[in-house]
Amino acid sequence: MGWPVRAGRDQETLNVMKLIGTVARTAAVAGTMLVAAMAQADTRITGAGATFPAPLYKRWVVEFEKVAPNVKVDYNSIGSGGGVKAITDKTVAFAGSDAPLNKKEIDALGGEDKVVQVPSCAGGVVPAYNVPGVKEELKFTGDVLAQIFMGKISKWNDPALASLNPGVKLPDLAITPAWRTDGSGTTFVWTNYLATQSEDFKSSIGMGKQVQWPVGQGGKGNEGVTAVVQQTAGSIGYIESNYATANKIAFGSVKNYAGAFVKASPESISAAGAGAVGKFQGTVLSADIWSQPGDNAYPIASFTYLIVYKDLKNVKSVEEAQAVVHFLNWATTSGQTFAGQMDYAPLATPVQAKVAAALASITFQGKPVMMPGQH
Amino acid sequence: MTESEHQVAAGAPAPSDEPEAGRPRRRLRPGDFVLGMLARGSAAGVVLMLVALVSVLVYSALPSLRAFGPSFLTSSDWRPNELERPVRGPDGKVVIEDGEVVTETIPPSFGALPVIYGTTVSSVLALAFAVPLSLGTALFIVRVAPRLRIAGPVSFLVEFLASIPSIAYGIWGLFVLAPFLQNHFEPTIATAARHIPGLGWMLSETVNVGGHAVDRPVPLTGRDMLCGGMILAIMILPIITAVSRDVLRNVPRGQIEGTLALGATWWQSCRGMLRYSRSGLFGAVMLGLARAAGETMAVTMVIGNNNQIAPSPFAPAQTMSSLLANEFAEASSDLHRAALLEVALVLLVMSLGFNMLARWLVVGGGSRTAAAQ
Repeated sequence: MGWPVRAGRDQETLNVMKLIGTVARTAAVAGTMLVAAMAQADTRITGAGATFPAPLYKRWVVEFEKVAPNVKVDYNSIGSGGGVKAITDKTVAFAGSDAPLNKKEIDALGGEDKVVQVPSCAGGVVPAYNVPGVKEELKFTGDVLAQIFMGKISKWNDPALASLNPGVKLPDLAITPAWRTDGSGTTFVWTNYLATQSEDFKSSIGMGKQVQWPVGQGGKGNEGVTAVVQQTAGSIGYIESNYATANKIAFGSVKNYAGAFVKASPESISAAGAGAVGKFQGTVLSADIWSQPGDNAYPIASFTYLIVYKDLKNVKSVEEAQAVVHFLNWATTSGQTFAGQMDYAPLATPVQAKVAAALASITFQGKPVMMPGQH
Repeated sequence: MTESEHQVAAGAPAPSDEPEAGRPRRRLRPGDFVLGMLARGSAAGVVLMLVALVSVLVYSALPSLRAFGPSFLTSSDWRPNELERPVRGPDGKVVIEDGEVVTETIPPSFGALPVIYGTTVSSVLALAFAVPLSLGTALFIVRVAPRLRIAGPVSFLVEFLASIPSIAYGIWGLFVLAPFLQNHFEPTIATAARHIPGLGWMLSETVNVGGHAVDRPVPLTGRDMLCGGMILAIMILPIITAVSRDVLRNVPRGQIEGTLALGATWWQSCRGMLRYSRSGLFGAVMLGLARAAGETMAVTMVIGNNNQIAPSPFAPAQTMSSLLANEFAEASSDLHRAALLEVALVLLVMSLGFNMLARWLVVGGGSRTAAAQ
């Protein structure tokens, strides 16, 4: 009860003093270590955005540290919308986005001449299906896919599907379309492609990161759609090509602009990207690469983009500015090797040249940014 | 039931708890002061949090409240993207001016009716499955188990169900329950329903195909309203069982013995017990309903996530909380985000309503019986 007697109190005070001493010593040691770490001068740059290229970007981060050991890059895959918001708020050095910036977003960033947007790699969206008893790879056209996702074609043995796949015994089974419930670049590419193939689709469902699907089931993310497809006999869903390849999910080929049935692969998607090089203008590079000409071009493809301010006012020092430019240049040239390895489509050489030209325009406080070794 | 009655009921048996008037005030010690302030601060903090939550929700939902008004609750459109389509004249033909098709842009539109429907129907389905099971279990624990000396273990196991994380139920639902329903349960029901007139609505759905309503058979996928309701039922079993068990235990012994003394059979005495505590039991059910309405992850995984109003239990659906889980992280515009927050507001108001009703029934009902003695 009450306060301890005097002797005990002294003892207690002594203990407290000891404790304070220990804490102080620990803090001092930690502080010294922190100062030592800072003296080694790691330059940290942060990016955020699209989830689709995130596995590739994370690989880039690891590989880039071998090229520039004193630079640490962080990439947070928070979604394209989040990335664009983060760069608008200047909380990151660069942003990733699956859809190119629209007019409103560019204005929020300060206008066309204040922004640099470059493609970093390309990806495809594939129709994955689950039709019991069908061993052959199915062929689709954009129009047939549009009709399936509008609910107009509702059975697998529909004449339209049968005539595309002669010799395949298609069952009398209901089709359950599977789609993304979250806003995503995948849906953006898929609906934009289908809208070019069907006027009806364009006016009744339309294009966007998220649309109102009349039939079928929703899944969250590629994994959600894949779960629906794998568990439901008769379902067909759209997923990213590299996700399908990595998880060994069967998918069909799609008729391209030239009239050939092409399966998605890094090569066929790169071929689609190569055709778009003429569309790149200025420093905000963007090009729609669905339904491109070329015998090998896969029709449901798109670039994913990296976005920075043209004048890097959102980074703190010239070292950080150099690190950003170095990383972007490395990623869009040497880094492209890893894209192919991870089933993303690398940028074609003419596209890389356009990207390099756009990146060369980046400045820090009005002065051009020199990369290490460029002095 | 008024507040004063309540106080009388609670205070009557123990008047000695009342502070004595005119007692000398004790000197406030520092410890007392700090603890008192901490307690006041904590209580104020909790209230503040609720107020902040509601005001932030209302503020963030304002764009949607302004844009759609009350029609938000009655519209079944949920389209986050703009539509560009050709203008059609009164004759239904595309309008062409100067050789070009005239197009109109239709802005995004949001309506919560399908998700309100989804939440209501899945919760009611859950209650339909869970209430008989829960009441049966509660009755077993109170009336049968003590004689068998297993009331403790059974209570423990039921409460253990409550501690399983929601996502675990979801995974079980997705990989075990849904495939079972798809491959075994639903085909059997469908075959049976085909032979019973008047059950056709269970097997067909109306789909809007390019502006035309088309009736077609529902594909049996296992991830649908029925599966959602079943998963919810399992998740609300523990709370309904636990609360009804406590309510039934509070039935005075004299009441039970009285019925038995009057020659009631075991079943009649149980029925008397249920009737006696019906308002408390109803409260337990309401608590279960509130839990079902707010449950998110497990439902999202098994309900099919289609914003539609389909009468068939085999059609995919969407609840308010699953809509939020699916769409919030990547909301495509400010209006979309605001609409989602308005859905959250509607859900909050609904849950608050259920909880208040339940509280009034359980607490109010309990003291009413106490006062009656």
